[in-house]
Amino acid sequence: MSPIDPRLQEALDGERDPGELPADLREAYDRLTGAAQLLAGTPRLSVAPRVMVQIRELPAPAPARAPVLTGTPARRLARWLGRPRAVTVRLRPVWTLALAAGLTAVLLLPRLENSLTPGVAEGVANFVGHFPGARSVEVVGSFNDWSRGMLHLNDDDHDGVWHGAAVLPAGPHEYMFVVDGERWVPDPLAGRYVDDGFGAGQQNSVLIVRPAAVEP
Amino acid sequence: MVNDGAPDVEVVARVLGGDGEAFGILIRRYEPGLLRFATRMLGNPDAAADAVAESLVRAYRHLAQCRDPARLKSWLYRITGNRCRSHLARRHTNDIPLSEAPAPALADSTDTWAALERGEQVALVERALAALPAEKREAFVLKHVEGMSYEEMASVTGARIPTLKMRVHRAREALLAALEEVVR
Repeated sequence: MSPIDPRLQEALDGERDPGELPADLREAYDRLTGAAQLLAGTPRLSVAPRVMVQIRELPAPAPARAPVLTGTPARRLARWLGRPRAVTVRLRPVWTLALAAGLTAVLLLPRLENSLTPGVAEGVANFVGHFPGARSVEVVGSFNDWSRGMLHLNDDDHDGVWHGAAVLPAGPHEYMFVVDGERWVPDPLAGRYVDDGFGAGQQNSVLIVRPAAVEP
Repeated sequence: MVNDGAPDVEVVARVLGGDGEAFGILIRRYEPGLLRFATRMLGNPDAAADAVAESLVRAYRHLAQCRDPARLKSWLYRITGNRCRSHLARRHTNDIPLSEAPAPALADSTDTWAALERGEQVALVERALAALPAEKREAFVLKHVEGMSYEEMASVTGARIPTLKMRVHRAREALLAALEEVVR
């Protein structure tokens, strides 16, 4: 294999008119472009039916599941009530409605609470990012199915340092900052990163949430 | 109801909004190219179909992670390329790469490229392509079969444009040498 004439490379890159090539290079040009055309035939098979069968069995790709943001007694009660349990409870419909109303009220509480109290096997994750001039910064990650609009950071003193916190299950979580609603950037302070699994060498930040100390 | 001609951004929003069936529009839109790309990468239509099916399911599951739905095509090619590389890394021994398939017999030494039947030409080119290292093969296919710009290729592969240009140039040289060897 020997290097081919730069003029041929330029013509194949669309940087030179192939009509200007001398005869021998033009022949090589035609051979390579002809080979590419031979490879361009589209396979006749289709995977669409089996893919659609599979995805119909999957949950929606972005379920609207909010991260756990506080650990107040009311919220812990709400979570306890929200978890499936193998118990049989006989309730009159009116009680069921009241319970549902109470649960809804708890879930709709503002997230701007000053204290975050993690529950069992949970910890507080603090997020800090320096994004001067940003209009909004939020955190998306494996803990909220990479959904936006669930964990916003604040910059109340407008110094460009955005911060926020959330109670998350203990363990590793992958995440990214989303700046101004469109720019996804890893956390430069994360210290640990993993490939995002989609090739191209892009990386997610990783944080490890330690379980909060259990009160005696 | 989103129509088949809707922009990718609109279809993605629809899927993320809970309309899973709308993903079928994206499949119909990109499946032919993805299958062609995977077939050229793997040299085996069945393995390519598996790789594309797995990639599309993966894309659906992680659609919320698609950071720029306007560039969905690049994202799908990236996932598929990644899948192909994984497949190549664990290729089963009973898969016969095209480079090992028997070469079509030439009638006599005076045959020229133009005189070869189309089927023979395709087989020859597939063999020459399969003999390239995966990175060069990918670069050539994205550039000359899928017709991507170097910018699009960079988005798909994560490689820098000068690196991609070098891979394409080397792939052309190897391919041309292989083709000239056959028809000489």
